[in-house]
Amino acid sequence: MEQPVQTETWKARSLEELVRILHQIFAEDKVSVDEVQALMESYESNPEEWLQYAKFDQYRYTRNLVDNGNGKFNLMILCWGEGHGSSIHDHTDSHCFMKILQGNLKETLFEWPEKKGNGEMTKKSERVLRENQCAYINDSIGLHRVENISHTEPAVSLHLYSPPFDTCNTFDQRTGHKHKVTMTFYSQFGERTVCVSTSCGSPH
Amino acid sequence: LPAGLSQWFPALEVLDVSGTGLTEMGTELLSLPCLHTLLAKNNRLGGPGSLPKGLEQAPLARSLRVLNLSGNRFSEVPPALLQLRGLRSLSLGGNRLHGIPPDIQELHSLEFLYLGGNFITAIPPELAKLPSLRYLVLCDNKIQSIPPQLAQLHSLRSLSLHNNLLTYLPREILNLVHLEELSLRGNPLVVRFVRDLTYNPPSLQELAGRTVKTRNVPFAPSDLPDSLVRYLSLASNCPNPKCGGVYFDSCVRQIKFVDFCGKYRLPLMHYLCSPECSSPFSSASQSSTSQSESDSEDEASVAAHRMQKVLLG
Repeated sequence: MEQPVQTETWKARSLEELVRILHQIFAEDKVSVDEVQALMESYESNPEEWLQYAKFDQYRYTRNLVDNGNGKFNLMILCWGEGHGSSIHDHTDSHCFMKILQGNLKETLFEWPEKKGNGEMTKKSERVLRENQCAYINDSIGLHRVENISHTEPAVSLHLYSPPFDTCNTFDQRTGHKHKVTMTFYSQFGERTVCVSTSCGSPH
Repeated sequence: LPAGLSQWFPALEVLDVSGTGLTEMGTELLSLPCLHTLLAKNNRLGGPGSLPKGLEQAPLARSLRVLNLSGNRFSEVPPALLQLRGLRSLSLGGNRLHGIPPDIQELHSLEFLYLGGNFITAIPPELAKLPSLRYLVLCDNKIQSIPPQLAQLHSLRSLSLHNNLLTYLPREILNLVHLEELSLRGNPLVVRFVRDLTYNPPSLQELAGRTVKTRNVPFAPSDLPDSLVRYLSLASNCPNPKCGGVYFDSCVRQIKFVDFCGKYRLPLMHYLCSPECSSPFSSASQSSTSQSESDSEDEASVAAHRMQKVLLG
């Protein structure tokens, strides 16, 4: 994505409108990261609009596909129970936007490990994202771990990935060793998808 | 809780009083015969009277399935809570607990136990007596070791131990056949081969006991004082497959690394009956580091592959 000459200032007044505007933006050849981030942030989370996608699992966080953007992007809702977190992962050369719909999520950024890394990975920074905030990351920025550190509140987040991807690498914080994983959806378009899991199924 | 609650809503099944500033929940609860879910998180419960007296006789003791007391001020698990024999799901996350009472085993229907975000330093072995426990969360505490008895939790599917003070795990953890998820990040797990060289020489009693067991010296209970009969029954088998020996109190602790899913190497604590009884490979190598670090016992590897999702980093 490169910066176009002009960037619009969008205001998405509903989740449906957000999706519609995203389709519009991504129909173009060039898309601005700032524009998408501002659009995502402009949507004020309304649980009534996304509750149908917010399917929680007792044991771990879930990925629930909302829209597949005509192949240009994936829009999904992630549901994090108390204490649920991801492993450190990359984003397979894609852009990743993460907006908080409910609760809070802690994002810890890490440097890429050295080529033959055999030491503890380096933490770059960490922050707690609040409701309606939208974060952005891609592989050139670094790697991250996302977790719900609350022991009392579940969290819900809206993620946009472009281009879509279904595999990524997870990293061992102690050694920097990476491992490729395939990601699966807990539900798609509001319907629970039951799939036979093969091996480790998510950035987990 | 408002008086007369059970008169107005006698069929109440779910009660959510979270975030209301409650400091106690009284006898109004006792007359709700159908209540199966009670959510009281983010309140000011924790003092005396948090749970009503007489809970044992109330229908609640059998009907309540889900209890959420997270985000309160409990510094200990209230004894009254242990009367809720029908409880399937209990959350005390984000309180001020310093320990877990052994009587937790009374909650024999428990499937889901969330104790993350407290100040717990140790886990009682009695926790392992919960036959239906599937999900156990102990993250964000101050736990230094896991009792090997925890391996008796045959139903355990997910174990959350991240952000504690663990340096190793008991090798018995591999016996958890249904464990699919294990989170261990944020623990000071040892990464290098460690051999505890402080080996206390066995006592004469221990040496005699070992001989009796390994040589199958026959004896009848009338031959020995009761205390020695009991002592002999406490023998542990040395896990070294090449040794048929046993040990009582005197053993060598050794940490071995076991591969999980071919990606992570976990330090597991082994108790061996003598320094000679170490890893089958250790005698072959001079340096005790690289050679032994790449070991995995065959049986351990098989068990480790069963665990598909290990959260380490």
